[in-house]
Amino acid sequence: MNKIKVVHYINQFFAQIGGEEMAHVPPEWRDGPVGPGLALGAAFGEEAQIIGTVICGDSYFNENVEQALDTILEMVRQHQPDLLIAGPAFNAGRYGVACGTVAKAAQDKLGVKAVTGMYVENPGADMFAQDVYIISTRNSAAGMRDAVSRMVPLAKKLVKGETIGASAQEGYLPRGVRVNLFEKERGSKRAVDMLVKKLKDQPFETEYPMPNFDRVAPQPAVQNINQAKVALVTSGGIVPFGNPDRIESSNASRYGRYDIDGLMDLEEGKWATAHGGYDPSYANQDADRVLPVDVMRELEMEGKIGSLFHFTYSTVGNGTAVKSSKAFAEDFVKELIQENVQAVILTST
Amino acid sequence: MLILTNNPLVNTKASIERQHLLAYHPVTYLQVLLLARDFVHQGHRLLTHPLSGSVKPNETLYKSIGISESPRDGLCFDSLRLIEDAIAAFKRFAPRDREITPQMDSDFQLVDWTLLQSAFSSALTHPL
Amino acid sequence: MKLELGYIPIHNIQFGDPSRVEDGVLYVNAEDIKTLIMKDERVASAEVELARPGESVRITPVKDVVEPRVKVDGPGGLFPGTVSRVKTVGSGKTHVLKGAAVVTTGRIVGFQEGIIDMSGPGAQYTPFSKTNNIVLILRPRDELEPHEHEVAVRMAGLKTAAYLGELARNLTPETIETFETLPLKEGMEQYKDLPRVGYVQMLQSQGLLHDTYVYGVDAKQILPTILYPTEVMDGAIISGNCVSACDKNPTYVHQNNPIVHDLFARHGKDFNFCAMIITNENVYLADKARSSDWTAKLCEFLSLDGVIVSEEGFGNPDTDLMMNARKITDKGIKIVLLTDEYAGQDGSSQSLADAHVSADAVVSGGNANQVITLPRMGKVIGSEAYVGTIAGGWDKNKQPDGTIMVELQAITGATSEVGFGYLSAR
Repeated sequence: MNKIKVVHYINQFFAQIGGEEMAHVPPEWRDGPVGPGLALGAAFGEEAQIIGTVICGDSYFNENVEQALDTILEMVRQHQPDLLIAGPAFNAGRYGVACGTVAKAAQDKLGVKAVTGMYVENPGADMFAQDVYIISTRNSAAGMRDAVSRMVPLAKKLVKGETIGASAQEGYLPRGVRVNLFEKERGSKRAVDMLVKKLKDQPFETEYPMPNFDRVAPQPAVQNINQAKVALVTSGGIVPFGNPDRIESSNASRYGRYDIDGLMDLEEGKWATAHGGYDPSYANQDADRVLPVDVMRELEMEGKIGSLFHFTYSTVGNGTAVKSSKAFAEDFVKELIQENVQAVILTST
Repeated sequence: MLILTNNPLVNTKASIERQHLLAYHPVTYLQVLLLARDFVHQGHRLLTHPLSGSVKPNETLYKSIGISESPRDGLCFDSLRLIEDAIAAFKRFAPRDREITPQMDSDFQLVDWTLLQSAFSSALTHPL
Repeated sequence: MKLELGYIPIHNIQFGDPSRVEDGVLYVNAEDIKTLIMKDERVASAEVELARPGESVRITPVKDVVEPRVKVDGPGGLFPGTVSRVKTVGSGKTHVLKGAAVVTTGRIVGFQEGIIDMSGPGAQYTPFSKTNNIVLILRPRDELEPHEHEVAVRMAGLKTAAYLGELARNLTPETIETFETLPLKEGMEQYKDLPRVGYVQMLQSQGLLHDTYVYGVDAKQILPTILYPTEVMDGAIISGNCVSACDKNPTYVHQNNPIVHDLFARHGKDFNFCAMIITNENVYLADKARSSDWTAKLCEFLSLDGVIVSEEGFGNPDTDLMMNARKITDKGIKIVLLTDEYAGQDGSSQSLADAHVSADAVVSGGNANQVITLPRMGKVIGSEAYVGTIAGGWDKNKQPDGTIMVELQAITGATSEVGFGYLSAR
């Protein structure tokens, strides 16, 4: 059998070009393994050969996604590998997103099998776990050996078309797809073991995580809404025209705070959406459709609400990690409390 | 209790027993669920579980659901959640294109009837 | 309450006269069994077949599986309230023909399920491919109602298991296991430093082919109640349940309830296994509210620190499971739940019909929608005619070479929700 041909994707840091100061470097091809590729190659042994490495700076990739991806895919396509390995990215957020993007594109657009590796809290894990196999790694490069020891067997199985076991067996992050497996202990024994751990307040791992509710218990109704100060907050991406805060069209890393004092209406040409997940034409035509400043003003004048708070907060909910969203809210809610805002209307798309 | 059903056997049996109100509609399983949801939207409470029985929603053709006879003020969120979850669960089971023999058909009717009937004694004593 | 289980291992079964156990072989006199079953006027005909591990045999549609046992000492007899008179069981001595099982088959309704393959890929999914099975094939009188038919088949299985168990009365067990639960106060004193643990078993109780009996009482009618865990080993709970073959509990599994056994295994070491609570899964929503209230109340009353809750079935019982989870957790008691999943054939759907945030520790019996291909077997006991119509079977699932495709749903005990099997999902 021919050796499996592998292309490896890594960032500037793992290529030993440099840290953050060198994150702007564009994609580059080098023959053979580089950096962690050596460990990968060793783990593959005689079965596979790392024919080349694509290196790209994290800033360059994330700021020029389409261009970077086109260039990288072209490099991969030229060498016609059987397999693409990206990372592992551990807990490096932008590197994780790049690994996920490259792996998914290699798989979907070039039909090349792909495996990457990340720490479970890497934003790239949230974004790509359903699309590509992401081996669960530790949160720093100290976990390289573990990561490689699980990425290689899974990659081999993928290339050979063998059955892929459940996430717990193969070590990849759950993909939202339930896969059966036979355990070493019967279910009742596993339940007793889990109970003992729970009783001792030791960590335990449920076999079926409940659907992610993250429900917030509703607050009691606002007593005197006709006197309350009400704020508008949106994940629909409504921003002043030109997107001054450069909120990303997906997987936003920030939110914006905009003054709407005295504004009666969000006019076309002055306000628009930064959201990349829906057809923006109606929102751009009349941003009140997403962030209803006009209606709130009417209610204010009719005395149905006390007043509309003079700041609005906006981000893009398109694939944005729940953790990021929480962090945004924890941040701006301080100001809401300080300014005695009593109610918030949250609009989505 | 008001029985919403598409099961002809329930129609016959419950008509004879005359202990409960009956709304028989010869519609699909899903349409019975949707009908129940319409009633819930209008303030009725579910009294029996919409996914009663282990016969999966893509196997049997029949569904009977007991709801309160009259609406009450306000929407019952527990009822709404249950019926919405049942509709979602129904849609998860792929439709199965297959022949239903007359024997199977009558057995499905019978099992649905006994599932509903199991609620009768409770329904007669429970304050609605 | 203290019970000694004496195990007489059975390595093989043969027809023979008289019925007896010799050198680990169970000899079965088929005529005796037929005569016993035919005493029931509801039965028109009965046949007895044998199926051994590794044979190219498929048994379908399976209704129930029962383990032959006999009470040799202590009050009451096997299956109190059904085969024996009502008397509290669970103490004294009981002998078990370990490795033998009575399997009942025969069509009750036209969509019946339950497959046991004694070899091949299906065998690893059912625990009853590893037992030596005495299979009863029953035909009812023509005019018999399905309700009556179910009772007749249920009773035939229980009576046959009791008849075979009787053969073990005077044998010397090869191994003995002892299980003891102390009364509340004594238990508290003896294990005062250990956390207090209970087991909540939810029982199918919805209607025809969905019922369970406790000391002969239809579980629909019970309020949640407390059992000494050893009571189930003497057949306090029996199955009248034959829909959803993969996750219903056959009587055999009640007799050998693995949660009871595995809790006993660490009783007095990691915790004090205080009691078993049984509750139901009724169709009427107010019954659910009442039963889950009572279950939580009993857990609190017993001052439990931790509880394992097992479900039986899908859909309607998911709601009971979540109500129990929420209410027991609200009492400050830690819970672990056992269930199985219906995540669709591709595994991408939501597994349960209900959910609650308190259900943070769940053991899964696997995805029942997974499709499996079963090869043709040399012999079919019962009838394959229903395979196309059972849960998880398709009309066109029978290939020209005799292989069939079914979902695991159709296989008896495949996704046990009391954790009798090793299957899980991630």
